[in-house]
Amino acid sequence: MRHLLAAMCAAILAGPALAFEPTDGALGMQPAATRIAERIHQFHGFVLVIITIITIFVLALLLWVIFRHNKKANPQPRKFSHNTLVEVVWTVVPALILVAIASQSFPNLYYQDVVPNLEQITSKSKQLQADGKTGAYERYTKNYFPEAAEKGFVNIKAQGNQWNWTYTYPDIVDDAGYPLEFVSNPLQVGLSTDSKEGVRNLSVDYPMVIPVGRYIRYYTAAADVIHSWTVPAFGVKTDAVPGRLNEGWFLVDQPGVYYGQCSELCGVNHAYMPIEVRVVSEEEYARWAELMLAGDYDAAAASVRQVASTEQATKFAAKQ
Amino acid sequence: MAHDEVKHDYHLVNPSPWPLLGSLSVVVTALGGVTFMKGLFGLEQGTWWLLALGLAMVMWVMFGWWREVIKEGRVGDHTPVVTIGLRYGMILFIASEVMFFAGWFWSFFEFAIFESARVGPNWDSANPLFADGLARFKDWPPVGVETFDPFHLPLMNTLILLLSGTTVTWAHHALQHDDRSGAKLGLLLTIILGMAFTCLQIFEYQHAQFTFDGTLYGSAFFMATGFHGAHVVIGTIFLIVCLLRLMAGNMTSEKHLGFEFAAWYWHFVDVVWLFLFAFVYVVPFLAHGG
Amino acid sequence: MPMDEVALDHHDAHDHKPGFFKRWLFSTNHKDIGTLYLIFALIAGIVGYTLSGLIRWELAEPGIGVLTQFVSGEGDVAIQNAKHFYNTVITYHGLIMIFFMVMPALIGGFGNWFVPLMIGAPDMAFPRMNNISFWLTAAAFVLACISMMVPGGSAGNGFAGGWVLYPPLSSTTGHPGPAMDVLILSLHTAGIASILGAINFIVTILNMRAPGMTLHKMPLFAWGVLVTAVLLLLSLPVLAAALTMLLTDRNFGSQFFNPAGGGDPIMFQHLFWFFGHPEVYIMILPAFGIISHIVSTFSKKPIFGYLGMAYAMVSIGVIGFVVWAHHMYTVGMNVDLKAYFVAATMVIAVPTGIKIFSWIATMWGGSIEFKVPMLWAIGFIFLFTVGGVTGVVLANAGIDHALHDTYYVVAHFHYVLSLGAVFGLFAGWYYWFEKMFGIKYNGFIGGLHFWLMFVGSNVLFFPQHFLGLQGMPRRYIDYADGFATWHHISSIGYAITLVATLVFFVGLVEALVRRRKGVANPWGEGATTLEWTLSSPPPFHQYNELPHVTAKGGH
Ligand code: HEA
Ligand code: HEA
Ligand code: CUA
Ligand SMILES: [Cu+2]
Repeated sequence: MRHLLAAMCAAILAGPALAFEPTDGALGMQPAATRIAERIHQFHGFVLVIITIITIFVLALLLWVIFRHNKKANPQPRKFSHNTLVEVVWTVVPALILVAIASQSFPNLYYQDVVPNLEQITSKSKQLQADGKTGAYERYTKNYFPEAAEKGFVNIKAQGNQWNWTYTYPDIVDDAGYPLEFVSNPLQVGLSTDSKEGVRNLSVDYPMVIPVGRYIRYYTAAADVIHSWTVPAFGVKTDAVPGRLNEGWFLVDQPGVYYGQCSELCGVNHAYMPIEVRVVSEEEYARWAELMLAGDYDAAAASVRQVASTEQATKFAAKQ
Repeated sequence: MAHDEVKHDYHLVNPSPWPLLGSLSVVVTALGGVTFMKGLFGLEQGTWWLLALGLAMVMWVMFGWWREVIKEGRVGDHTPVVTIGLRYGMILFIASEVMFFAGWFWSFFEFAIFESARVGPNWDSANPLFADGLARFKDWPPVGVETFDPFHLPLMNTLILLLSGTTVTWAHHALQHDDRSGAKLGLLLTIILGMAFTCLQIFEYQHAQFTFDGTLYGSAFFMATGFHGAHVVIGTIFLIVCLLRLMAGNMTSEKHLGFEFAAWYWHFVDVVWLFLFAFVYVVPFLAHGG
Repeated sequence: MPMDEVALDHHDAHDHKPGFFKRWLFSTNHKDIGTLYLIFALIAGIVGYTLSGLIRWELAEPGIGVLTQFVSGEGDVAIQNAKHFYNTVITYHGLIMIFFMVMPALIGGFGNWFVPLMIGAPDMAFPRMNNISFWLTAAAFVLACISMMVPGGSAGNGFAGGWVLYPPLSSTTGHPGPAMDVLILSLHTAGIASILGAINFIVTILNMRAPGMTLHKMPLFAWGVLVTAVLLLLSLPVLAAALTMLLTDRNFGSQFFNPAGGGDPIMFQHLFWFFGHPEVYIMILPAFGIISHIVSTFSKKPIFGYLGMAYAMVSIGVIGFVVWAHHMYTVGMNVDLKAYFVAATMVIAVPTGIKIFSWIATMWGGSIEFKVPMLWAIGFIFLFTVGGVTGVVLANAGIDHALHDTYYVVAHFHYVLSLGAVFGLFAGWYYWFEKMFGIKYNGFIGGLHFWLMFVGSNVLFFPQHFLGLQGMPRRYIDYADGFATWHHISSIGYAITLVATLVFFVGLVEALVRRRKGVANPWGEGATTLEWTLSSPPPFHQYNELPHVTAKGGH
């Protein structure tokens, strides 16, 4: 019984197969590939239980009155209309439940929303180790990653255009000092001329590429109308608003290919501006960057294509 | 049947063509407006007659409708309980107008307070809300926009409106005490002051160093003060109607709802101006060091 | 217009009514205007429902294959046009369902009919203004339909930017054509209609209650409409301001929402949702009121915790004004602001819970009869809870970052709207049908309608939760293959609601044809509000002698 329940939970949370693209017939979220997404899953698991219990409770009460207090079962209606005690209970108990939800929700929100201070992570983890607080250290490193912190951020800007994404890598500059910048176009736009390659409606010609196990800080911007940069497996979604620069962060700890889609109505081809992120090793990332800088986009894309599709499970996803 | 006899004081209005005609004229006006702005149904952009027709229809309906109301008031349909209802109605209408202006003020404040944050490189995350109070206005209006000195014309306008608030109260008191010539005089003065305000405002607009189109400050400034100005004009017309009715002798010292409403409306317009004066004229001026 | 004949056909010969055209075009009678609103909502509902059919038909299979038949061009040209057309369809589906179906039916229709009857008033406070509220709503609908058919952007007719009208997609950047301008003016018109209607309801309720009926004895439906009217009065003008800014941005060069001129598109979202969130409670509060009466009537018990019920609605209304930015968690708001909006939003679950539990407590110990209105009411209580609890999930910004703009949101709001507000609407329809039209409907057909609708709409919307969790974005004409199964099942659900809707019309026609004569109070001892003391349909002018409310509570 326990196993069955666990299996059912897993099915609800992760869907039948481990993949970082939508799975047909799945009931839950795509597997988590970042700590952010993992925490979202945990939180969702938590509120799902609560709201299911509440709904079933309401349903049970309804069924009870339907069967026990109907005309046949109870021909003579009672006439009461007040009961202070139950009124207090059904005010206070929901309030307490909400407090419980909030106590999980706020830490989560701040964790996702505040771009971490890498120096602080390094020093704090060193401190914990030096003090021999292994328990605290382990708990800390569940959420913060000292090794990655020491290497600093990888910065990327994603700009939404009607209807593709422009990625800019300020850390990767050519000899003239210009940052690497390229446009990522969808392979399919619903037309008969579409390429037959890739995952339909999700693949792009030149994917965004990031190194594994590094803190990524991304910025979103837009050229024309509002778009939204989203990757479900990372648990991130940030609107790309003209005239603004929004930011966010994540860290993916295993190589893989991850898909997302534009999530703010942006006109005719809103359904056709997918996001494809390939997470590769540092070496592959460096080679890719070199090829891109050299202008050989196709070779660069090819260089990350085989690698990424071999490894799918990440630490965060595998845990479920 | 006993039920046939009406034993209450509520006003059961007779069927009336004005609502249907009114909404017809709204459709014509709306389509006329879009035709004028964009061109529609094969009519070229700039075609004005459809809009003019619509507006004329709207005027006609308003005239016909309110004439009916005034007639009903005079034949005694406005019993005490109906009068209370009309008062509630007017108060609620003004409440909705207040929220309309809340929209303008809201956007004005947002643009003013967050100007630096918005044009800065990294909006929001480093800026705790209201941390430096009105000093935020230092970037507003943006560099290059020459604003008005609030202590010249705008101050004068403020005084004019405040004065008109007192004259309309004077007129009201006079009317209540059956001093009809005093009421007429007070009302006339109010109307003149209102018109003076409008003229000065037009004069000010003509000397503005910024425009409605092209700059955010200009848009926010003209929209807020412009809608206020439109309300002044409407209020003035409302007062003129009251004056004409007063002269025609159809308001009494006990019953002059139309006059009361015009006065309320006028006070509302007055208060809105005070806020505009304080926040659109004075504060940005002071934040820039005067 | 068969319904007119029905209403004309009643027994009080002493009533004299105006002639046909005067009666229906120039009406100043709250019941006639209520009927007009219901007919209007029915027509708009059919349009909105047809549009939702296009959505579900297109989404039944991956790829673009259905809407191409409705647009010009061949092959890839048709596909390109269909993409724009799809966005147009969802936009007008949302707008029509909200502004021209639910609001006119619940507030204009039932509000007009039953607020005066329940509080013992002979009519509304401003009967002529009441009529312009109706005709302006109709005018707004005409304008909305015109806007659907005139050029929107380079890609086709109509505005295709979603019912939330976000710039820059709704400014000339996204839609240079006149469609958006007509739509803006349509919404201005609908807004004026609603503001005038709101003033009318508030004044009627405050000033025209029968002697002895204090606010604390007033029926809960009137309470619901009162709170709704206040929300309308205070939120719509802000939308009007936002729409006006959008209009001048589009036509007169102002820069409010144009980043190139220093403006801010997010400002529009704030103004829109300051209206938009109260708007969702505007759609549900009248339904709350209706459900209270039905539950009490068919349990033959007074409402449990009457005062708590009334003030729960008031507090929902008040809190509803300070939670708007929960629709904007992903726009790049300061994290502390998000935290505030999370907390404020979740608080609304408490008064709403009070309502749910009080309804159940009203049924508790009762002698429940499962007549058609009661079926809808019980369905409402359960399905609204399902929709409400997913709202609480979305309220948490941390998880909304994942779920925002996915089908999880679509599922949430259809559970509270299509299975909440619309179930409340049908509950009221069956509850008061006999009272309004003086004829009985067929209980079996009504029950069949309910069961088909219950099953159909759950099959339709429940799988959308799964889609949303998997990451299926909203407003997509086409989707990755991984979303195919649940979309397909959702469309099957739509087919079931199609049968249900046909059954609804069969029931309507059957009642009109058979004309079984209605009685004053078909529901017996449980129905205690004033409208049941009148004939069915009530006389053209009721309460010529005002009723005196002496009993403890008229609810
Ligand atoms: C009738 C309309 C209606 C109603 C009543 C509600 C009710 C609620 N809504 Fe919903 N909502 C919409 C219509 C509605 N909503 C629409 C149309 C949208 C989308 C707009 C768009 O983008 O197009 C939307 C979107 C929406 C969002 C934004 C999602 C997003 O875009 O990312 C959020 C987030 O907070 C939200 C929250 C809530 C909450 C917390 C409630 C609460 O009021 C619910 C309270 C009810 C309950 C909780 C159930 C009963 C309570 C109990 C049984 C007590 C015990 C319960 C607990 C302790 C939890 N709604
Ligand atoms: C009250 C509001 C309401 C109602 C009732 C409905 C009803 C339905 N809606 Fe929707 N819907 C919205 C409001 C509503 N909707 C909004 C606001 C959006 C967002 C738009 C946007 O993204 O901008 C949306 C979007 C939306 C989408 C998402 C589109 C997308 O993101 O790509 C879908 C997809 O399946 C959908 C489907 C349906 C279906 C199948 C029905 C129905 O068919 C379900 C069954 C309902 C009925 C059968 C009721 C019929 C009623 C009558 C016939 C009137 C009766 C009247 C009287 C008795 C007087 N709707
Ligand atoms: Cu870009 Cu939607
Ligand atoms: Cu909301």
